[in-house]
Parts: sequence; C-alpha cells; structure tokens
Amino acid sequence: MSATTSTKETPAIDEKPGILARLEARWEALWATQGSVDPVMAALVVGLIAFGVVMVYSASAIEATVQHKDAQFFLKRQVIYALVGLSLTWLISRIDYHRLRGLTYWFLGGVVALMSACVLGFGSKGGGATRWLAVGPVHIQPAELAKLALVLWLAYSLAKKGDGVKTFSIGFLPHLLMAGFLMVLCMKQPDFGSAVVLLLLTFTLLFVAGAKVGYILGATIIGSVAGAAVVRFKEYRWQRVVAWLDMEAHRQDLAYQPFQARMSFGSGETFGLGLGKGLQILYLPEAHTDFVGAVIGEELGFVGVVCLCTAYVCLVYRGVRTAFRARDDYGTYLAFGISTLFAVQALVNLAMAMSLLPTKGLALPFISFGGSSLLVNAIAAGVLLSVSRQVDREHLDRENDPRRSVDGSTGNVTSNGSSSSSSNEATS
Amino acid sequence: MRNIEPRRARWLKVRMGVLCGLLATGLASVVSSAYNIQVKHGAEWRAIAERQRQRRLKVQPTRGSILDRNGEPLAVSLDVPSVAINVAELVRGVAPKDVPALLDDAAARLAQALVMPLADVQQKLATKRRFIWLKRRLSQDETVALRALVDPKLGPRALKGLMIEGEGHRFYPGREALWGLVGFVSTDGNGIDGLEKAFDEDLRGRADQITALRDRKGTLLFGDGIEDERALAGDDVQLALDLGLQYDVQADLEAALRAFEAKSGSAIVVDPNTGEILAMASAPAYNPNDYGDSPIEARKHHGIADRLEPGSTMKIFTVAAALAEGKLKPTEELFCENGVWEIGGQTIHDTHPEGMLTPSQIIAKSSNICAGKIGLLLGEAGLYAALKRFGFGETTGLGIPGEGTGVLRARGRPWYEVEVAYASFGQGVSVTGIQMAMAMSAIANGGKLLEPMLVKKVTSSMGEVVREEIPVVRREAVPPFAAHLVTEMMTGVVEEGGTGKEAHIPGYRVAGKTATAQKADPATGKYDPDKWVSSFVGFVPAQKPRFVVAVVIDEPWVAHLGGQVAAPLFRRIAMRALSRYGVAPSGDLAKTPITFPLEDPTPKVYADMAAGMIDPLLDVTGPGGAVSAPIGPPVGSGLPANPANVPANLAIPAIPAKNIGGPNGEIPRVIVPEVAGLGARDAVKALTAVGLVPVLDGSGTVVKQEPAGGVVTVRGMTVRLKLEPSS
Repeated sequence: MSATTSTKETPAIDEKPGILARLEARWEALWATQGSVDPVMAALVVGLIAFGVVMVYSASAIEATVQHKDAQFFLKRQVIYALVGLSLTWLISRIDYHRLRGLTYWFLGGVVALMSACVLGFGSKGGGATRWLAVGPVHIQPAELAKLALVLWLAYSLAKKGDGVKTFSIGFLPHLLMAGFLMVLCMKQPDFGSAVVLLLLTFTLLFVAGAKVGYILGATIIGSVAGAAVVRFKEYRWQRVVAWLDMEAHRQDLAYQPFQARMSFGSGETFGLGLGKGLQILYLPEAHTDFVGAVIGEELGFVGVVCLCTAYVCLVYRGVRTAFRARDDYGTYLAFGISTLFAVQALVNLAMAMSLLPTKGLALPFISFGGSSLLVNAIAAGVLLSVSRQVDREHLDRENDPRRSVDGSTGNVTSNGSSSSSSNEATS
Repeated sequence: MRNIEPRRARWLKVRMGVLCGLLATGLASVVSSAYNIQVKHGAEWRAIAERQRQRRLKVQPTRGSILDRNGEPLAVSLDVPSVAINVAELVRGVAPKDVPALLDDAAARLAQALVMPLADVQQKLATKRRFIWLKRRLSQDETVALRALVDPKLGPRALKGLMIEGEGHRFYPGREALWGLVGFVSTDGNGIDGLEKAFDEDLRGRADQITALRDRKGTLLFGDGIEDERALAGDDVQLALDLGLQYDVQADLEAALRAFEAKSGSAIVVDPNTGEILAMASAPAYNPNDYGDSPIEARKHHGIADRLEPGSTMKIFTVAAALAEGKLKPTEELFCENGVWEIGGQTIHDTHPEGMLTPSQIIAKSSNICAGKIGLLLGEAGLYAALKRFGFGETTGLGIPGEGTGVLRARGRPWYEVEVAYASFGQGVSVTGIQMAMAMSAIANGGKLLEPMLVKKVTSSMGEVVREEIPVVRREAVPPFAAHLVTEMMTGVVEEGGTGKEAHIPGYRVAGKTATAQKADPATGKYDPDKWVSSFVGFVPAQKPRFVVAVVIDEPWVAHLGGQVAAPLFRRIAMRALSRYGVAPSGDLAKTPITFPLEDPTPKVYADMAAGMIDPLLDVTGPGGAVSAPIGPPVGSGLPANPANVPANLAIPAIPAKNIGGPNGEIPRVIVPEVAGLGARDAVKALTAVGLVPVLDGSGTVVKQEPAGGVVTVRGMTVRLKLEPSS
C-alpha cells in the first residue's frame, strides 16, 4: 500500500526529460517535508543524549585519567558521537521512511557481512569477546547495527506479507530463520545479550503483525530450552548464572561485577551522592558503558532513576502513539519495533545495573558510552521521528477528506489511542 | 494504517497494547527494585561500599622517618616489594577447560620463584580472588625470579595478573642502640610500640584524605592537585635524642652490665634546662628489626617501664623539701644515733655509724637514720606532697606507651611513722629511671620540674615544620634556694670521703647521689640479701648544669654498692657528654663560687638561724644590708657546736660544711638587693655592686624582680628585672 503512495508522488518524474531534473525530482521526493516531527519525542531524544554525555563524563573521568592521561578522553568522543548522532537523527527524520524499504536488504546484507567478518576472525577482542570490527580508527559493533537492521527488515517483510503473516511457512518461519541466523552470529562473538534482544524484537513484531500466538509460544518454549541449554552447557556462562544467584558468596570473583553494580546502585539511596561524586566508579568495571545505570543510581539516587525511567516512558509512549497513528502498517511496525528496542534495552540495562538480571553487556540507549550504540539509536530515533512526521500529515489529509468533514471530533483525536484508532478505521 | 482493513488494524492495536502492558510490568519491577535497593536498603549498600574502600586503603602511604637531633635516621621506611595476584586476571581469556591446567602451571612456577610450598600457592590461586597477597617482603632474588615470570618475551607463558607493589618495610639503622624506645610497626603499618606508637598519628600519613582516590586495583589516583605521593606521606619526627651519644651510652651500659653481671639496667641523659632527652639507653638490648623474635620482657625499656626502689637518691629530694619548707636549716646538725635507730618497733641501720651530722654530711655519708629524721620533720603529708611535687607517683609526660608511674604509698593509705622514715631514704616506694632523671633535673635547674622532651619537632615530608616542641614546666618542685643548697651538698658526695667518689670527674664539679637498694622478694615481701639495685643520679657541671645522668643497674652480682657499680658508669657517660658538647672544665674547685646562704630574716629558715638556734658561724648581715659579704673568720670558727663532728668535716674537702667550719672559708655569699621601685640605672648599680648580673626587660622603673629581694644566691647569678614606664 505504501508502494502506491510513493508512485503517486513520482509520476511527474517521467514527464520531465532532463536527467538533472530527474535527479532533482528524486532528491525532492526523498524529503518528506510536509509534516512536522513529534516535538516531544525530538526533545526527549536530544535530552537523553545530552544527559548521557554528562553521565559518561562523570563515570569515565578517573578511568580516562588512568588509562589515557586525559580526564576528558571519553567525554570528547561521546560529544562527537552525540553531535554526529543528532545530525543523523535530524537528517533521517527528514527522509520519507518509505524510502528506507529499498535499503532494507542492503542494510541487512551489510550487517550480516560485518558480523560474519567479526566472527570469522577480523574482529578485535575486547572484554573477552570479538564484538568489535576495526575499520581504520573507527570501531564498529555490528551487533548494535543488527538490532536496527532486523527491525527494518521485519517491518518491511511483515508489511509486505500482510495477512500471510498468519501462516507458518510464509509468515512465521522465514522471520524466525533470519532472526536465528543473526542470533547465531551474535552468539558466536559471543554476545548473548544482543541475541536475546534480537529474539525479543522478532517475537514482538511477529505478535503485533498477527502471527499465531501458538507458534510464538512454541518458539518461545523451544528458544528458552535452547537458551537454557546454551547457558547450562557452556561452563563459564553457567558459572556466571550460579554466581549471580548467590552473589554474596561470589562477590570477589564471578559475581564481582553484578555485586559492585548493585552496591553502586544502592549506595545512591534516595537522592544520590551528587553528580560527579560517585565513588564506586573506582571499583565498577565498564562504569561508563554497560554499567552507566549503576553510576546514575549512585550519583542521582532513586529520584534520578525515576526521572530517567519517566523520560524513557515518555519516549516509548510517544513512539507507541506514533505506531498507533502511523500512516500505514509499515510505519506502525517500524515505530513499534523501534520503541520496543528502546524500551527493552533500557529495561534490561537498568535491571542489570541492579543485578536483577545476570550481566549481559547491553548499552543503555542514548546514554552509555559507545559510538555504535549511540549512532544506531540516533538513527532509529530518526526513523521514528520520520514516521511521526507523516502521522501529522494524515491528520491534515483527514481534515480535507469529505467523508470526515462532518466529524467534529478531529480536534481531539490525539487525546487517546482509542479515538485515534476509530478515526483510522473511518479513514481507511 | 489506512492501507489495511480496520479489523486488522484494531487487532494490531490490541496486540501492541498487550505488549505495552508487558513492558509496563517490566518497568514496574525495575522501579520497585530500585526503590527496594536504594531507598529501603540504600544505607546498607552504602556501608558495604565504604567498607570496601576502607579495605583498599590498607596499602599505606610511606611512613615518616624518626630522626635524631642531628637528622640521623633512627627508623626509616624502605620500599620492600610484595606480590599479590589477581586470579581473575590470570585466567582471563582462557578457555574454561584449560583453567585448571593453567592454575597448576602458574602455581608451580610461582612456588618455585617465591620459594613457597606449592600447596600454599595452589590454595591461594584456588580462591579466585581479585586481590590476594602471595608473599610479602620479597627478597632481591625472589623479585628477580618473579619479574622473569611476567616477562612479555615469554608470550602466552607470561603470567598475567601479578601485582608487585612496594610496601613500606620499616628499617631501624640504630639497631640495638634504640631498642624499646623506637618500638615497632606491624606489617599493615600500625605503630605498635614505643615512639612508633606514640607518634603513629604523625608518622602514618594522611590515608584518610585519599579515600576517593584509590581504584579497584588499589592504585593511587590523583585528582585535585595532588601530584606527588609524597604529599600523602607521613611526617618525620625529629627527636631531641643524640644518636652518637646514645650509641656510646648504650655501649657503656652494656659493658657495665657485663662487668657486674647485672640483670638489666638503664642510663638516661637529660638536659636539665629544657628537659630534652639526649640519650636513653636500656640493656639488655634487642634489635627492633627482629621484633617478632624478641621475648616480650626484652622489648621494654628498663628506664621507663621498671619500677624500682630508689634508695638513697631519695634523700636528696627529702632534704631539698625540708630546706624549702624551713623544717631543716642548712647548718643544723642531726644526731644519727650511732648507726642504730629504733622506730615504730623496727630498727634502721646505717652502713657507716655516725653521731652528729649536718645535712651536707648526711647526704655525703648517706645516713639513713638522719634522712629518716628529716622525713619525720616534714611529716607524712609534707613528705608525700614533696615527693609528688618532684614528679614521683605520676608519669613524667614522656608519652611513650608502657611508662610506669611508680608507687609512693604502696599500701594505698598514708604512711605510718616508720614508713615515713623509710620513704625518706627511698625504701618502700618505687620510682622509674626517667622520674629520677627528671626530679634530679629539677634540682639542677633551680627547682623547676620539667616534662621530658623526647621530640624536638615534627616536619612534613615536604619539609614544612608541623610543630615544634617547647620545654614544659610542670611545677616548681622546690624554690631555687633549696635547689642550690642541695646542689652544693651533693657535690660532697663525689669528693673524697663521699659515697660516690668514683663519679668524680677531674676539672668539673659533679653533683650526684649514690643509691644502693635491696630488692624485695616478691614472694616473701622481705628484702632479699643478694638482690640489689645500684644507682647514681647526678649532674654536671654542678654550678651550671648541662647534663643530668641517671644510671640504674638492676641486680648486679659482682658488687652492689651504688658507689662501686653505678658511679663509674655515671662518670663515663658524663665525660662523654661533656666532651661531645665541648663543656670546658671549670678549673680549680676551690676557686669556683659556691652558693651558701646568708642569714636573712625573711624566709623562716634564716630567721631560725639568726636566732642562733644552731649555728653561730654565719656572718650575720642586717636586714636590708644588701652588700656583698665575704665571710671572714667566723665568730665561732674554732668552737664548733659539736666537736666530734669536726674531724669528719675536715676529712671532706671543699664541701660547704667544712668551709663554714674552716678558718678561712671565703664564700661570695650574696643577698639579692630589693630593687623594686628603683629606676633602671639605680637597680643595675645596686645589683652589680654585689656581683649580680642584671637582665632588663622593658624600660622605666622596676616592677618585678626575680629572684626577689632578700633571696640568698651566688655571686655572678643573673637577676631578671621587669621594668615598666613610670606613670
């Protein structure tokens, strides 16, 4: 259906003969300038990234001084990533998201290639795993890209298949196979956390798109058993789980990280020690990346954590609202997938900081130090904003729609999801 | 979602709603956990975190040094490497199945390099801890062997996670010379004895200031302007002690102990004018470098920890107090009962039976009976108070742990009469060597009881003076005239016929007192005929004291008299101090000025003399007759009150009693003129006229003088005048 929208805009191209003019027209068509982005969402993204820069500095200053003789080592890099990331957000939010469909397979293919390269030995080691791919001075973490690539591909594929999603062979299996393939590549690095996120995203979007709940449940059971087996029979993983279950006994060795993390988180108490006053960063490994949540807990306290959660809730709420009001099902899948990506990562990361879950090495979106994570999340936010832009245009369309002109309720359709959905029904 | 049918769109929204509900559940659990961890149990987690940081701080900043007065080191911290291992780091990146083999291999190589039992190393590695000490205080060879294990040239065979850290190991260059005094530092950096404990606060450094600056490996991190670890190091403590003198005194003491086959002993040298402790030896010695191997008994300093009966030395303080109180006149003669005195059902003996003795002779001859009588003159309360004023029965203020107080009233009640007599000559009471030295310093410096000054100053590692000690006067034990009188009397001890002539130093006037005390057997409570404490406490030069030396020899076997055992050691030590500090000999003894009291109506003691109660020998000057009064042949010079006493007096040259009795004793006795209210010029004139040296403070008229007008003193003494402008 979205294909028709794009062709609806392109006919003019054929009429103009000059190649320059054609390119110009294509360029024009690339930009969806008609609507305006969701301002609340944009503000939240900017705010979270800025907050992340501050927290990264607070958490990394000492480590940076020790390792690089420069307290601002990580800060400088994070600022650059933040600026590049925000530029990408802005740029992508201006692109009509339907244009992304053509890029889906390119992107997916690229990610698979990078991950394969990583697994096949071109990656560089870090923290006992080969999660990084060094391209000159830039270190890419393909697993981060894979999350976005999978969302883009699932949204594209599910929207294309429509009702076919309900079938097993067309709707269910291919998506599961693709996700499984990416997961295997993740596990090979090994990056258990990203693999779990990929699986969650797949199930989420399959469920939303209408896949049979039985299939999903079955796959979930099989996946759980497989996951449990992977954990149980991989000795070091099992040890880690055992240590996590009995942190007190293993606080010096295998549960050192989760124990330190919970200690950091807890010692913030209600109001925290104050920004930059955290002391646990001396003991907490990866304080500015995976465990930045624990530093936030220590320095800003429960109040700070609740504020952070509120920010994520608002962002996800605006994302889900965008999904509800998206112009087409492709937009819905994109918006919901990306919102879920943010929500799941944030929840899992915070749960890790409190040691509710075993350490898995997931970044806190927009906040943790790291170019790959920040840029991928920034791009995802751009896509989400792009979808939100076309929601507004739909309202404009609807107001011009003769069938809707008598409907006086258009002024408050934005007030809640159900009225929005009813208006969608009317317009469809 | 205009592109799909409404029913499907609605279903989509329902399903999204369901998933949002799941996410909300996750959010709720995260927030409630955060509440649980941070608000409900936050304080506990904070406490755990603080404990962790405290534990990491065990690696102390460099401990400060202890130096002698000339900057010679007595105790210094040297970096001796210790090795710890991070087992998590050691096995990092190793496949789990290979870990046991790796640990075994590492344990074997470490055990070989560190010369440790293999089982110990294996046990330590098996803990899988991130920080565990493998071995502390490595030798040079061990360090080299260890460095070979981490050599990167070994490639994958190089051990990871080893941490070689320089731990401060305390080293005592002074060895035995300082034992007991300096103390010891435990492995984790706490001073546990002696000076190390007394000045632990200064020496240990400021670990508390760096709480936030150690990371999980224990590495010091620098932030706020701290660029140098030295800034955190402990302060240096500079002692008043003279290490060179200390060595000599220690050697002399040990030689004396060997010569007399004594159990233990101590020798203390104090500057009586400031209380500075110049040397403080104790034997037998132990080497603080081998602290752990030394028996506890051997670690204490006998001069400060041992409580011993002082014996005859106590007579000095008894006599000084009696003079000060006016209960005894310097020329009064007491009957010494010819050596046997029955009192309170007990009999007191003198070694040398005597009849009538003056106080000078009582001290020179060391008569127990007469000392006891003088004590009874003071009375129980008077004697007790007097001895307390000299600092007995309390710590001296030295500040070293383990200092004894001694006991005056051993039974916790006032003395009976006989016990007063005993206490007067130092029996039935116990004192420490340092108390004796400080009490004698009070006699030497004109009556002021000072606190011993062990430390001159404390400087930071950056060279700034943290604090400087100044002499502390506890109280005036006796007025100056009494101190000066007793000083003169004590010079008789070392003269021919005195008990301590072995302490005589040619060219110097020595004031001192021998003591020979029998030791009580702790089992029976009776005196043991074979166990003695010999001591000699004195100072030199008598007329301008520079050094007080207190020598105590416990249980000498070969001989036991203080004059035989302790006096020669006193002489050796005093001579070393005199030559080391370049104190010039004062020449012919007869020409040295000797203080002797002129009769003066103001103090009671002189009033008695003026009344002619005892001695008519004094040339009485009328009140206000502030003139120099060299004594001519006294009225009754040929007619001593007690003829039997004269030969004894004559036998002792150069002691006051003899001079008084002698036909041509020319002593520059001087009464300080009263100059208050006079102008500066007149006051100076009046003072110089009698041979005193005025020291002026301020201008105008004299408002205060010290010593006061009427006090008897020696020619050449200074008189301090405080002047204020007359209104």
